Amino acid sequence: MQERIGVFVCKCSTNIGNKIDVDSIVSDVSNIENVVTAKSHNVLCSNEGLEFLMNEIREGNLSRMVIAACTPKMYEQRFMNVCEASGLNPYLFQMTNIREQVAWVTPDKDLATEKAKTLCLAAINRISFQESIEKKEIEVQPDVLVIGGGVAGIEATLTLTSRGRKIILVEEDDDSGTPELKQSAQFRKVYLVEKSPCIAGFSGRFEEVYQTMECAPCMLAPELQEVLQKDNVETLTYSEVEEIVGSFGNFTVKIRRKARYVSEEACIGCNACFEPCPVEVMNQNNLGLSKRKAIYIPYAGALPNVPVIDKENCLHLNGKECNACEQACAFGAINFEDKEQIIERNVGAIILAIGSKLSDPTQYPQFGYGKFDNVLSAIQIERLNATNGPTGGKILLKNGQEPKSIAFIYCVGRKEIGYCSGICCMYMSALAQHVKEKLPDVKIYSFYTDLCLPKKEHQRIFEKVLNKGVEFIRSDGSEYVDSDGKQLIVKYKIESSKKSQLIDMVVLAPPIEPNQDIEKLAKLLEIPLDENGFFSEEHILMKPYAAPLEGVFIAGTCQGPKDIGDSVSQASAAAGKILSKLMLGEKLELEPIVAEIDEEICCGCNICIGLCPFSAINRDSERNIAIIDDTLCRGCGTCVAACPSGATKARNFTLEQISAEIREVAK
Amino acid sequence: MAKPKVAFYWCASCGGCEEAIVDLNEDILKVVELVDIVFWPCAMDFKYQDVRNMKDNEITVAFINGAIRTDEQEEMANLLRKKSQLVIAFGACSHMGGIPGLANFWDKETIFESSYGKDCPSVDNPDNIVPLTISSVPEGELKLPAFHNTVKSLDQVIDVDYYIPGCSPAPYLTMKAIGAILAGELPKKGTVLAPEKSLCDVCERNETKPEKMSLTKIKRISEVIADPEKCFLAEGIICLGPVTIAGCTNEGSGRCITANMPCRGCYGPPPKITDVGVKMISALASIIGLEGEENMSEEEVEQLMSQIEDPAGYFYRFSLPKSLLRRKRMN
Amino acid sequence: MKKEKFTIVTFLCNWCSYEGADRAGSARLNCPANIRVIRVMCSGRVEPQFVIQAFRDGASGVLILGCHPGDCHYKKGNYKARRRIILLKKTLKQFGIEQDRVRLDWVSASEGTRFAKIANEMADTIKQLGPLSELEALN
Repeated sequence: MQERIGVFVCKCSTNIGNKIDVDSIVSDVSNIENVVTAKSHNVLCSNEGLEFLMNEIREGNLSRMVIAACTPKMYEQRFMNVCEASGLNPYLFQMTNIREQVAWVTPDKDLATEKAKTLCLAAINRISFQESIEKKEIEVQPDVLVIGGGVAGIEATLTLTSRGRKIILVEEDDDSGTPELKQSAQFRKVYLVEKSPCIAGFSGRFEEVYQTMECAPCMLAPELQEVLQKDNVETLTYSEVEEIVGSFGNFTVKIRRKARYVSEEACIGCNACFEPCPVEVMNQNNLGLSKRKAIYIPYAGALPNVPVIDKENCLHLNGKECNACEQACAFGAINFEDKEQIIERNVGAIILAIGSKLSDPTQYPQFGYGKFDNVLSAIQIERLNATNGPTGGKILLKNGQEPKSIAFIYCVGRKEIGYCSGICCMYMSALAQHVKEKLPDVKIYSFYTDLCLPKKEHQRIFEKVLNKGVEFIRSDGSEYVDSDGKQLIVKYKIESSKKSQLIDMVVLAPPIEPNQDIEKLAKLLEIPLDENGFFSEEHILMKPYAAPLEGVFIAGTCQGPKDIGDSVSQASAAAGKILSKLMLGEKLELEPIVAEIDEEICCGCNICIGLCPFSAINRDSERNIAIIDDTLCRGCGTCVAACPSGATKARNFTLEQISAEIREVAK
Repeated sequence: MAKPKVAFYWCASCGGCEEAIVDLNEDILKVVELVDIVFWPCAMDFKYQDVRNMKDNEITVAFINGAIRTDEQEEMANLLRKKSQLVIAFGACSHMGGIPGLANFWDKETIFESSYGKDCPSVDNPDNIVPLTISSVPEGELKLPAFHNTVKSLDQVIDVDYYIPGCSPAPYLTMKAIGAILAGELPKKGTVLAPEKSLCDVCERNETKPEKMSLTKIKRISEVIADPEKCFLAEGIICLGPVTIAGCTNEGSGRCITANMPCRGCYGPPPKITDVGVKMISALASIIGLEGEENMSEEEVEQLMSQIEDPAGYFYRFSLPKSLLRRKRMN
Repeated sequence: MKKEKFTIVTFLCNWCSYEGADRAGSARLNCPANIRVIRVMCSGRVEPQFVIQAFRDGASGVLILGCHPGDCHYKKGNYKARRRIILLKKTLKQFGIEQDRVRLDWVSASEGTRFAKIANEMADTIKQLGPLSELEALN
């Protein structure tokens, strides 16, 4: 079939019209083979201009179209829509930029005209090699896997499951033939996988969190209850993700459910099983400051309110004769035969919200943590302060007396790890405030090098603490902690003069570090970690909620240190992106400009596979070829440039198309 | 019916392609039974005049090996084209220019200088006598074929119907081609009569390489003892297998590979590739320094690439005249 | 035979440098008319073959611009471009083509001034080198 090419040159009023001899271009290109129409127009992007194009395409029965106008960044999409509306495949259209890149940068009209003509000829050359591309849609799984049951995971889960889709079915009544309307609804399901026996995460257990000094369990309780009670949320506590295969829209996930030995269905949470248990071990929740039983819940108020039996320490599970808990349970909830199991779920997207951890201060020996009693990490003094903590909320020294002076040391390990954790200044201020409320006469010294008070409330909270008489001492970061046998001594320097302070108790603010599970998950998903070991985001400014793998999102502190509010925002953003991309009942439209591999030519040399920044290329070992997953490919073309056998093709940017342009512009 | 007539001719070549015909072994007897060999200067006594005396298209098929670098070769190529129904470029030199084509990194002048000039270590030529196209002697004029500045592939001089690739072509490919000609079952004009996929497709070492190819150390085959089982490229030894079609054997990994040498590219590229070298540059540079690329400075990249001492010579070993740039600009 | 005029085939990535060139236009900065742009999605799509084709088809220079290292829209395409062009330039030297005829650099979407500067520098470089000579006589 003879091609029918239309060429339209926009004058953009005087913008192009005055700088380039548009008419001479039009008359030159109209002589080219297959160009059936060449016209200029005053403003192609106007409504009138768009109508003009529509008429030209339809009446001229155009099979391809070239527009020379402004930058395609402005109206290429608009012109593509016109193509579509006029029955021309939008990929049989090519736009060349003679405004920003010619008219506006070339003062000499002859040179500008010559350059613009060359670009038009290149586009006309190219258009003959362009191919129509059909948009492709795939069936997707709207359900979502959320890994991590902390605030971020909870928020994401609730956002994702808040609304369903109403489905109205019209059915003919068999007898009467009258249509009958039936309504039902489709809901998205979320699988919330949490490694520990309870949800709420790390920060969700603190009694008073800045900035509101609210009790986190109280704040979160309604949300946690909602998550646990929702039909379309399956909460899998005490579980870990073991395998993830597939891609955006269709992931298959294997989850390992550890044996809890207590039935979640049968247990009513009466806690009658704790008292008879003869085993006592250190309570990690109170950081070794108190004890718990072998059957336990991590902390009072933990949800789901179902205990777990600690396999390592339970007598029964270690072959000894004891079934004290079983006897104490009136509901038959204890099940010593419980077995670990692997379950499989299909999801369309994944949110990683595995949180982070406070680093162990023994890594920074200068502070004497672990060496001296009464050197505590921030989390330990939080436990002392908490009513559910080991002292019932009393701030006490190891010897049971109240401290008369406390040193708060900020920025522990910041220099070593190389980043600011961003929240320590605030939680240290909050802690100082609590301590001051409980022990009004205590003398508090805060040693800091820099303060990080970026949010609108922070400055105010800081000033409040300052007003309470907390003394802030700006040292050069060389503080270390010593002891004279009776008391602790904080030694520090101000402008190179050495100073020291006798003190009863030292509180350290260690940095936030990536969670120990992060590497395993990164490996499972083949996504990168940043230089600090947190998840890398697709774009730190524009897409901080997305991992650089289509369909995988990140929320909360696994992406980097942040406070509860920021975690919640990020989780909502991630969930919102999923809601807008994986619509219930809709198919997923794929990026049309992707790479494809000619299986007849691909020799399976593997050169392209590692190059793909989106892990879209895989090896098909059976056929000894590479295959591209077009749900993941974004069409950058780097694999195409590398393919040594010419098997790979970049749609809309093929070798033939670009060569056609080169031939013209290189002349 | 008369038997089909076949001609063999050699241009700038080493004689290996003639050997490749002889290597048909007993099969050559079958060939001789089915065809008449009407011209084969290397093996039998024919004169150019015999060919000139033939009618146009009298020869069914002419197999021409060797690159074109002299007037004589160009003249004979044109003559055989005129007298033959089919012309087959036989072997790497006639297909792509081959090893003689590497002369395109120099010009006639520098080649003569290094072959006959005073600095040539193996020539004692104090009077600087160089071959001339025409030399006058008392008996008259002596003529030698002119030596071209640039080596060409056969299809840069005459129209070529098919190519049988390789340095030298594997006998099984030649037999297959002859069979196809006799049976009249030839593919589209211009086809390279060999498999279309690259060597990795059949290479038994292909399975040994990692999915993610990333190289840091490039080794020359002369400097290491290559593992006889592992993919050369994955081991850092440059192998042109990914950019070279299979076909050098009809069983196993390929001739050089089996001899524990990396592929040097004599069979030429798959059908969609126009320039072997530049494709190899792109492929290789993609995987050299891939691991940790984001932390690499430009100097470090330069250093990595400097391990490849003679990229043009290595990547265009058999295909320089057929490459996009064809030759060096001498200035 | 030497040509009077010369062209510089310029490959711009869709996300950064193409917009950078647009920005030069919005700011009405003068750019040499022999800069001829071909848009690609990523500098990682620019095959060394494009460069060689440009020379074969008559260009005297080839300019390739991508996103700054670390800013690639496709994360790491520009690193591949860098490695390929470095090896290509080494090879071009063996073909008697001056390495300065090829330039790979980085221009972000906001750097109109930088685009204009690089474009002008490139034109000056090529002007100094002169147009790429025609191939030697082939016979």
